[in-house]
Amino acid sequence: MTETPIHEHSQNLVQELRRGVIVLAALSQLHEEQYGYSLMTQLEERGLQIDQGTLYPLLRRLEDQNLLQSDWRVETSRPRRYYVLSETGKKVLQEMTVEWSRIKNTIDNLLFKN
Amino acid sequence: MQYINAYLNEISRRLPRKNRDDIIEEIRSILMDMIETHNPGADPDEATIKAVLNEFGPPKKVAQQYVSYKPLIGPDLFSIYLLVLKVVLTVITILNFAGVIVGLVNGAFRETGLFTVVVDQFFSLCGSLINVFGIVTLIFVLFERFVPEKFKREISDEWSPDDLNLVEDKMRVSIPELVIEIIFEIIFIVFFNFYLDKIGIYSQSEAGWVMMPIFNENILRYIPWLTAIIVLNTGINLYLIRQGIWNRAAGMAKIVINVLKIAVFAAIILGPPLLIIGPESWPTLSHELGITDQQFTQYMNLGLNIILGLAIFGFSVDTVKHLWRNFIKKDRTSMEIATQ
Repeated sequence: MTETPIHEHSQNLVQELRRGVIVLAALSQLHEEQYGYSLMTQLEERGLQIDQGTLYPLLRRLEDQNLLQSDWRVETSRPRRYYVLSETGKKVLQEMTVEWSRIKNTIDNLLFKN
Repeated sequence: MQYINAYLNEISRRLPRKNRDDIIEEIRSILMDMIETHNPGADPDEATIKAVLNEFGPPKKVAQQYVSYKPLIGPDLFSIYLLVLKVVLTVITILNFAGVIVGLVNGAFRETGLFTVVVDQFFSLCGSLINVFGIVTLIFVLFERFVPEKFKREISDEWSPDDLNLVEDKMRVSIPELVIEIIFEIIFIVFFNFYLDKIGIYSQSEAGWVMMPIFNENILRYIPWLTAIIVLNTGINLYLIRQGIWNRAAGMAKIVINVLKIAVFAAIILGPPLLIIGPESWPTLSHELGITDQQFTQYMNLGLNIILGLAIFGFSVDTVKHLWRNFIKKDRTSMEIATQ
């Protein structure tokens, strides 16, 4: 059996790490309604690269879980599906934000205060 | 546009029917957004469209992201499923073998020849195993689909630290096994001591049910021995149920009983035949079987001896198990502890 190269290892782990935070990132940008592509570009502009194939299905799953609500609307030339936080989504985002800063502090402590 | 439609078709046919159209429309609108960003204002050229589709990814992969896979049998049920499969498949295999042995002893296969019989039985066993495997799986799949999550979790997840097996698994007594053993022991004692004359082959004739006794007087000399051994064994089994675990004394007692059982069974095999069908009761059966009463008696005794032989083998294995558990293995662990 050949050994997996280091960068492949870290690539997989980084991907796993990101997967965990994508939900939080997406929810954080949906206080105001956005359609899929605008959310994608907004996250990108703010430094978070997300695979197209991950974000759009994720929005649907979050809607299935009642964290988002969505509807089709024609704003400019063509219909787009707009997503926004539901009431439950807002509460969940609040709780996740608290938990995130806790995790961030803890991991920072573990990583850098030695 | 052709490219986009073809691309969306590729995705569409891989999506579940339920949200298919909605998902496709959303992807179409996202693709248009992407094209517009690449090529603002103008009509998109082929190269731009291809670049965007390339960026969006292979249709198969895109579709996969939208489908949530549900296992046929989920983790809550899987261990129970495996257990049921093991038990059911083992039972069927054993019954099949038992059927073959009984058939062989009764001479039912003499016309076809042993090889044909073995091959036939092997394929029929494979057939039934596959059948049963399918049926059990199907039942669990239906169970997975239609039984509420909560109930599934209850049967697999109810757990508290009190359930932990503090005693080593192998030393724990299997109560259902012992109870079944005791039931059979009681039935044996009652029948052989009080209703020996009722044991026989029953057949219906014009005069109603007729019984042909199958034991001859040779059985009488073994009954006291067998009864004594069984009473002893029942006593130990009751003690074990109360204790819940095996200890050295119980293990030794089981070894002694096994040796006694082996001795009596060997005596029966080596001694005069126990089973007999007398010529006076034979006519009622003979026309159905097409053999003589002596032949039938011979087969019955051969069958009994085979069963007793298998039992002796079982008792020997059990004895070795108890010896290993109580003496060899224990000494080894205590030696290991001593050397540490």
